[in-house]
Amino acid sequence: MNVLPDQLPFWIAGPLLGLLVVGLFVVANQPLGASGAYLQTMKAAKGDTDTVSWRVWYFGGIFVGGALATILGPGIEIRRGYDAMSNAGWSPIFIAIVVLAGAIVMGYGARMAGGCTSGHGICGTAQRSPASWASTATFMATAVVVTGILTLLTGGDL
Amino acid sequence: MGNRMNLVGGLFGAGFGFVLAAARLHEYDTIHETLKFESPYVFGLMGFAIGISLPLLWILERRQVETVYGGRLTLSRSRIERHHIVGGALFGAGWSIAGTCPAPALAMLSSGATYGAVAVVGLFIGLWLRDRQVAAGATTPSIGDGEHRDLRTTPLGS
Repeated sequence: MNVLPDQLPFWIAGPLLGLLVVGLFVVANQPLGASGAYLQTMKAAKGDTDTVSWRVWYFGGIFVGGALATILGPGIEIRRGYDAMSNAGWSPIFIAIVVLAGAIVMGYGARMAGGCTSGHGICGTAQRSPASWASTATFMATAVVVTGILTLLTGGDL
Repeated sequence: MGNRMNLVGGLFGAGFGFVLAAARLHEYDTIHETLKFESPYVFGLMGFAIGISLPLLWILERRQVETVYGGRLTLSRSRIERHHIVGGALFGAGWSIAGTCPAPALAMLSSGATYGAVAVVGLFIGLWLRDRQVAAGATTPSIGDGEHRDLRTTPLGS
């Protein structure tokens, strides 16, 4: 519908995220981390009795909210995604393998570190947690280095 | 409070997903342009999110605010341990390769990019692999400061 701009400026989107973080603390005394919601959703799927059901709603909410913003913006378009990899001449199967492998490493690392970009990167740092600041600095630095290596290996395609 | 908390969780998730998609953080290019230092977008967004939430949470903590459903506001601050660093490094590598992180992967999928599903499945596999190791007693679970906490049993830092 193009009601939303192509991309919210970061100085609007960032403070909005910050207010959501503060809001969930004020309402529920809980951080807005995403990887914990994956864990609860996995527990719900296994039928664990100690599942925190609202985290599953939260997980579903992220999906619905993303769709809503897309409808109000460019509109939902069914496509593969990862155009940069397609443009580099990678086959759909190869792209799927790379994305799957990357996501597995990411999930494993998030569980080991105890958080992800939202958990450690925003909610933990905002609580002034030394562990979160250290983890965030580490994943930021590693991501920059790995991206540099990817760019070199693909001759600038990625 | 069960049903009401589910609604709260769903709404916060939707708000989170909405902002992520409106910020195009679910796009590979947004992440990679920042990691290649071609754009300050993601750094700026995280900086503004922390810049708003850190001081607000600090003030609310000092005022010993009572939250709506979770008792007195308690922030958690853990000491830095090895798993925060090693896990963070793995997470950063996966983040760069898959070009997305846990919450944006959901928004990617709901924006119509089918390979978002590959990332979501990979994340579940990675989290599950780590959980399996923990269950087998090979290692201890990591409870991050920015992820879901059990307010009845988890002793909160400082």
